[in-house]
Amino acid sequence: MPEDAVNKTPDAMTDFEKIEGTIGENLIHNPKFSTRNVDVFYDEKQAIFNASLDIGHNEVIALIGPSGCGKSTYLRSLNRMNDTIPSCRVTGDLTLDGENIYSKKMDPVLLRARVGMVFQKPNPFPKSIYDNVAYGPRLHGLARNNAEMDEIVITSLQRAGLYEEVKDRLNEPGTGLSGGQQQRLCIARTIAVSPEVILMDEPASALDPIATAIIEELIDELRENYTIAIVTHSMQQAARVSQRTAYFHLGKLVEVGETNQIFTNPRHELTENYITGKFG
Amino acid sequence: MNDDHAPHISGHISKRFDSELEDIRNKVLSMGGLVETQVKDGIRALMTSDSAVAERVGNDDYKINAMEVEIDEECVQILARRQPAASDLRLLVAILKTITDLERIGDQAEKLGRFELELIDEGSSSKEFVKLEHLGELVSRMLNRALDAFARMDVDVALKTIKKDEKVDKEFESLMRQLITIMMEDPRTIKQALRVSWCARALERIGDHSINICEYVVYLVHGKDVRHIAYDDLKDQIRDIV
Amino acid sequence: MNNTEIVKQSLKRRYAKEKRFQLYGKLAVLTGFVFLALLLLDIVTKAIPAFETTEVQLTIPLDRNSLEIAEDATLDEETLRAINYGGLIKKSLRNMFPEVRKRKDKKELYSLASSGAEFDLRDKIIANPELIGGEPLTLWLKADDDIDTYYKLQKVTSRISEKQIAFVQTLQDNGQIRTSFNTTFFTASDSREPEQAGIRGALLGSFWTLLVTLLLSMPVGIAAAVYLEEFAPKNRFTDFIEININNLAAVPSIVFGLLGLAVFINFFGLPRSAPLVGGLVLSLMTLPTIIISSRAALKSVPPSIKEAALGLGASHMQTVFHHVLPLAMPGILTGAIIGMAQALGETAPLLMIGMVAFIVDVPGGMLDSATVLPVQIYLWSDSPERAFTALTAATILVLLGFLVVMNAIAIYLRKHFERRW
Ligand SMILES: Nc1ncnc2c1ncn2[C@@H]1O[C@H](COP(=O)(O)OP(=O)(O)OP(=O)(O)O)[C@@H](O)[C@H]1O
Ligand SMILES: [Mg+2]
Repeated sequence: MPEDAVNKTPDAMTDFEKIEGTIGENLIHNPKFSTRNVDVFYDEKQAIFNASLDIGHNEVIALIGPSGCGKSTYLRSLNRMNDTIPSCRVTGDLTLDGENIYSKKMDPVLLRARVGMVFQKPNPFPKSIYDNVAYGPRLHGLARNNAEMDEIVITSLQRAGLYEEVKDRLNEPGTGLSGGQQQRLCIARTIAVSPEVILMDEPASALDPIATAIIEELIDELRENYTIAIVTHSMQQAARVSQRTAYFHLGKLVEVGETNQIFTNPRHELTENYITGKFG
Repeated sequence: MNDDHAPHISGHISKRFDSELEDIRNKVLSMGGLVETQVKDGIRALMTSDSAVAERVGNDDYKINAMEVEIDEECVQILARRQPAASDLRLLVAILKTITDLERIGDQAEKLGRFELELIDEGSSSKEFVKLEHLGELVSRMLNRALDAFARMDVDVALKTIKKDEKVDKEFESLMRQLITIMMEDPRTIKQALRVSWCARALERIGDHSINICEYVVYLVHGKDVRHIAYDDLKDQIRDIV
Repeated sequence: MNNTEIVKQSLKRRYAKEKRFQLYGKLAVLTGFVFLALLLLDIVTKAIPAFETTEVQLTIPLDRNSLEIAEDATLDEETLRAINYGGLIKKSLRNMFPEVRKRKDKKELYSLASSGAEFDLRDKIIANPELIGGEPLTLWLKADDDIDTYYKLQKVTSRISEKQIAFVQTLQDNGQIRTSFNTTFFTASDSREPEQAGIRGALLGSFWTLLVTLLLSMPVGIAAAVYLEEFAPKNRFTDFIEININNLAAVPSIVFGLLGLAVFINFFGLPRSAPLVGGLVLSLMTLPTIIISSRAALKSVPPSIKEAALGLGASHMQTVFHHVLPLAMPGILTGAIIGMAQALGETAPLLMIGMVAFIVDVPGGMLDSATVLPVQIYLWSDSPERAFTALTAATILVLLGFLVVMNAIAIYLRKHFERRW
């Protein structure tokens, strides 16, 4: 028991103790991403306890759990976004295609080009729509000339389902778009650098049902080429878009399983309570 | 079987969701009670040639139909509004299916009443039906057990009840053989004998529907679909989960 | 009584309270405005006379005899310079008032013209030597500052005599005295004579000083802010630095002057009164302001933009230079301009490094002796001549004008470059 659990209410403490390990199929054969015994600390405070989870090729995995359970923390440790928080420390084995992503050899900048991220709040750069999408390819020198760059920008926007709406105003600021359009712009920006894995932290939390549906549809299409890990607070969304679902609780990975199974017949009581909206 | 596996209806953060589910469950139970009475009355009418009871059984079926519609409606409402998942989802699916089976049982009970009335019209006596007594008792006890299992979400009882199916089948088959023998011996009895066989058929159906309900209970509790599985395999599978 | 009624009853009191509070606020704003208006009014009324100067029309005889040049002498510059222009002006005045005989009266008569008038005359003649030997030249020359004050304000002071008043009256009757726009104020440097004093020297001094300050404190301040905000590890040491920067911003500016005196002049041996040293000292003073405001601007850049760039695989440095800095630029520039405005108005530290000296020459570079606008104001406000009061006010106006312009630029930059995200 970590010492901070001592301060918790007796109920939470028993919950914490109830989680003895992960149940379900958290490990799979031939994973894209493999994480073993991951602990994440913010200074002294431990946010993730011994999480082991594999993410398969061309798979959409949904990370669900109550607020503050460490979903974002876990997600951000997958592309070393946590490096930007000085107090944050990640231990354990995290490998992408068998390469340890926290080894000295792994350059975080390269890693982030391979593992893209879409954030909860749409955060387009205050630049034109074109420049927003072109930024990543320009950074990595992915286009040799302007024609190639145009090509990348247009296909990215098309794949994000935004091109038709913005093709006449590529030079207008990206911040002038609606929330849903902005989020799709951010997705276009992410896929423009052709990452292998896309991490999404509540990408549709600020969007209306139509924009949400468009993004979910997009995720479904992206699955053909990318591996996607998505954090969401919408049970329905997790159920709709993902093939597997992982449930986090108080920093522990409680249960992992086929989405169908998790949403009809979860095995762990905590998962059940969370999914059905019951008191812990 | 351990009790903590049974899903709790209560405990939702939304108190209204709790009470909605509780309400729906109570309605299913009272529908079950009504169906049980109908079945009992139907059987009694057969045994005693009581035309009043028979008539009542025929007339009361509409109540069951109305309840089915009402519960159906409420389930759809909850599905639309709450988008239930996991045990809540299984509960609602089980309820939706259970009420269908209950309604069918009600129909069979009504059939019993109707046959009896027809028999009385033809001046037939109840004696011929004595042979049905055992089967009637068996299925009405199965129905009772099924409803009990549903009310308490008791997989143990449900499994035991499912096992009774073999008995019912045996009983039904022996009845049929007897009736066929009678018909061959004396063709004049064919009309009555056919009626008796229809009644036996209705009772056997009631047994089947009761078993369905028991299977829903297993699904509800364990999330496992146990329909169309031989009983022994079923037992093994349940053991795997628990 | 139900809740609605209770609320209703208290409502009246609440509204009254609100009204009262608003009234206090309005009063406070009004008071501020009144003081400001009074101040401005006072300065403007005092300053207006400084923009005008009184001139007297004199007829200067230009025949070689009067100029005391030999008939055959060549009119080279040396000869021209040797001419007694003061005598010419006196002679011309005597010609205008032939009735004046007494020595004492003559002296008063002579003091009608500014002591600098002879230099204006000299410059005119040297520029146009062909005038010599021709018709007598009629031209307007500056009046003495006491005459100037008297004529412009029509107020008798102890510094002007009955006789002089009479002279002015005669001149006025003949249309030989007038006021015109005071170009000297903008083209001349400091002088003991108010009518010849101008702010050009101080203006250029301020310019050189601010240039040094700008070139030093902007890059250093922004670089320090970017490093501290974006790259420096957060530990005791950087906390210590941060606290000290904040403290520096609160240090009385004269301390920086003392520091400048000790370090730049006494230790490094830089020249006194030089804009370079002034700029160095003012840089020290504005650096904390610029660092603090730049850090605030950098901090206000939404972290989501940073995360977006990092998430796309930009390095830390690229993130800062592609996104954070451009977004923070309006804020940084605003801070810098406000810092510069502060520096422009600063006097105390410059007094310590000798920029308070009486300097007649216009500084041509950063190492020449110079003074700056606020110091000029300080100097003139101390002078006994009445005309300096007007000059002081006029200089304050000019200084205020520059401050307003600088602040306007700051606001413009913020409005224009500010982007919503
Ligand atoms: N920068 C940080 N410094 C310290 N503690 C942090 C930091 N970020 C997160 N935490 C802590 O780590 C735990 C997990 O946080 P995290 O953001 O991963 O939760 P989450 O599951 O994403 O929650 P939400 O659903 O609300 O986004 C929380 O207890 C939080 O307080
Ligand atoms: Mg989060």
